[in-house]
Amino acid sequence: MQKYEKLEKIGEGTYGTVFKAKNKETHEIVALKRVRLDDDDEGVPSSALREICLLKELKHKNIVRLYDVLHSEKKLTLVFEHCDQDLKKYFDSLNGEIDLDVVKSFMYQLLRGLAFCHSHNVLHRDLKPQNLLINKNGELKLADFGLARAFGIPVKCYSAEVVTLWYRPPDVLFGAKLYTTSIDMWSAGCIFAELANSGRPLFPGSDVDDQLKRIFKLLGTPNEDTWPGVTQLPDYKPLPIYQPSLGLAQVVPRLPARGRDLLARLLTCNPALRMPADDAMAHAYFHDLNPSVKNDRC
Amino acid sequence: MAPTRLASKPIGVNENLNGLLGHGITTRSKQLASLKTHKDSLKVPNKRKADSPLKDVTAKRAAFGDITNAFNKTTALQDKDKVMGVKKVTVESKMLPTVKSIKPQTTLNGKTSKAKTLQRVATNAIDAVQKHFAKDPVKPVATRAQNGILKNIEQKKDKTVNQNQSQNSAKSARSDVSEPSLYMTALETTSPSETSKEEYKTISEKLDKVNLDDTIRSLDEETEVPHKPPSDVPDFDQENWNDPFQVSNYAMDIFNYLKSRERLFPIDDYLQRMKGITSWMRALLVDWMVEVQESFELNHETLYLAVKLVDLFLTRSSKTQPEKDHLTKEELQLLGASALFIASKFDERIPPLVDDFLYICDGAYTLSQLLKMEMNILRVVDFDLGIPLSYRFLRRYARCARVSMPTLTLARFVLEQCLLEYNLLEYSDSKMAAAALYLALKMKSIGNWTPTLQYYTGYTVKDILPIAMAQNATLHKKPKSAISTVRNKYSHTIFFEVAKVPLIEDSVLSS
Repeated sequence: MQKYEKLEKIGEGTYGTVFKAKNKETHEIVALKRVRLDDDDEGVPSSALREICLLKELKHKNIVRLYDVLHSEKKLTLVFEHCDQDLKKYFDSLNGEIDLDVVKSFMYQLLRGLAFCHSHNVLHRDLKPQNLLINKNGELKLADFGLARAFGIPVKCYSAEVVTLWYRPPDVLFGAKLYTTSIDMWSAGCIFAELANSGRPLFPGSDVDDQLKRIFKLLGTPNEDTWPGVTQLPDYKPLPIYQPSLGLAQVVPRLPARGRDLLARLLTCNPALRMPADDAMAHAYFHDLNPSVKNDRC
Repeated sequence: MAPTRLASKPIGVNENLNGLLGHGITTRSKQLASLKTHKDSLKVPNKRKADSPLKDVTAKRAAFGDITNAFNKTTALQDKDKVMGVKKVTVESKMLPTVKSIKPQTTLNGKTSKAKTLQRVATNAIDAVQKHFAKDPVKPVATRAQNGILKNIEQKKDKTVNQNQSQNSAKSARSDVSEPSLYMTALETTSPSETSKEEYKTISEKLDKVNLDDTIRSLDEETEVPHKPPSDVPDFDQENWNDPFQVSNYAMDIFNYLKSRERLFPIDDYLQRMKGITSWMRALLVDWMVEVQESFELNHETLYLAVKLVDLFLTRSSKTQPEKDHLTKEELQLLGASALFIASKFDERIPPLVDDFLYICDGAYTLSQLLKMEMNILRVVDFDLGIPLSYRFLRRYARCARVSMPTLTLARFVLEQCLLEYNLLEYSDSKMAAAALYLALKMKSIGNWTPTLQYYTGYTVKDILPIAMAQNATLHKKPKSAISTVRNKYSHTIFFEVAKVPLIEDSVLSS
């Protein structure tokens, strides 16, 4: 690679390895994601195809920017804007508790990025702290669109094997293939709680059953009254009946009442009732958001 | 995605049946695909078998095979090989006049007569099963296929199943996600001989500029301004607010956004710059692509996107490349197959494998040619596959106006027939969709362009009348047997036989 000098490996994306690199001419630091194209293969992997195509469309302050795509016979190289760290590493680097204003700012930016995706018919489908990038200016950006896809209206069935377990909504855990923007909103809720707890995951399940039980212990086991159609989902199975513990105050003790209210609206088992991103941005929790964050237009 | 060749064993079929009972619908190809998935999950090394890849392919996808199941379930799996023969024959004969094809005296040739019989039987079977199934015409190709295997189950099934669900709910372990294991792990330095600086091409600059105004668009502003229709227009999105699958809260934004993007994908009169390719050849190609869509049970969006890719590629490459590099008629089918390959990877939950696409071209092209063409297309269209499609607009317009399924299907027939029509390429997809719906309403004597339609399409009759007339002229063209796939497809009862709806004169349109 002539134009860029590789500096270090940053990590693994959904596909391909990510490197930090420097543009030799401008000295700009970028992130490079390499996709190898084998002759003996299916051509450009669909995840890379989608990530490139979707990110070319989604140009927004809270979405990682794809600057360029370089291609040779043997590989594709995606050139991304570089961010200092992801949210996971940010959590790890926290000494003590996170500033609640930071929680609010990050959460708002996450929702703003998501609302932009959703209003441009894109589902992210893999939101988690590792896929949220943070830079020095306190900006948060959605990254890794390797699982993302464009959706039609009405939506069709898509893969149920999406979203990392801890951030996967109960409908998808029950095998739902018909889902929509609400899939990302559940993940956003989990991330919200994790933010408020300075990086402690909300539902760190070990498998699908354990994941569901952890969710229902907090929110109550859904039934046909609270969630019409739940028993018809492809992988539905009866689980122990837990009563809603209404214990959000215990789970996220530092979050003020308005924040808990927003969290409850995101962590709603029935996807039809889960709050969408644009509504969440208008929630009372954000009324006292630092105006510089709110007005920081894309 | 880890492509794997499978032994044709019905792994996962039970699982699929469970899914059906619980949920209603799956399709044969989805089942087959889930077999692939199963293999995928085993992480079989990504190795193309040296011997006859075609054999493997036949085990994977066969739309006519699915139909065949309706009359002979037990032989379903074994029959697929023959059944793909049907495809092959049609493909061959279809493309023979214009496009490179294989000598017919290969082993395939021996199967011809048998294949024809099979096809006839299959068609009868379609008719038979359709009667059970007229209720869900939304994704008819898949429906037709699933009917074969599932007729018995189907009859017991809950009839009120949600349309959305019934369209697609396939039980399959497959994800549309790639395996991460395929890719680079180490920081390799590229050997200078392999890639010189010139070989790298910058792709995104142009689009960056074009898209600037999207960047400026403020989401806050968007969300603060509610989309409110005038008082005489029902608020479709509000009425559907509680159906999450309509994505009502974003629907208006999304369709406005799609409409705003149409100008990024102009298609011009490219054939005048090209030697050796005619509008007739293009029509043959698109007709064949419709056939592939049917036999692979692809989404209609995939078909429409692929046709767009063909036209965009020809528009742009014939402008920027010297004449000697223009696509030749021998490469036309390669272009069509590669476009379908790309569109499938973009939109399908379980895209067919590359071998499937080589197979439907009957071995006319090599793997390396197909992959090269894939990259070529992606470069020319600048990796931008978010192309607004008339099919999507039409569904939105029809739903908002609460148009009945037969009328929507008639409008779909109009659009699909017009895919073959080179002269209509200049019109925007949203206008084409609105015009097709207008034409369908007139053909069925259902009524006029209501304020509701005007509101949701953003077009008046005056805007779309010339296009509706051009579409009407297309329908009035004398049917040609070489390009009859769309007409045949929409002559089935599953499509309400809309291709047989009597044609109208232009005067009816302007009245």
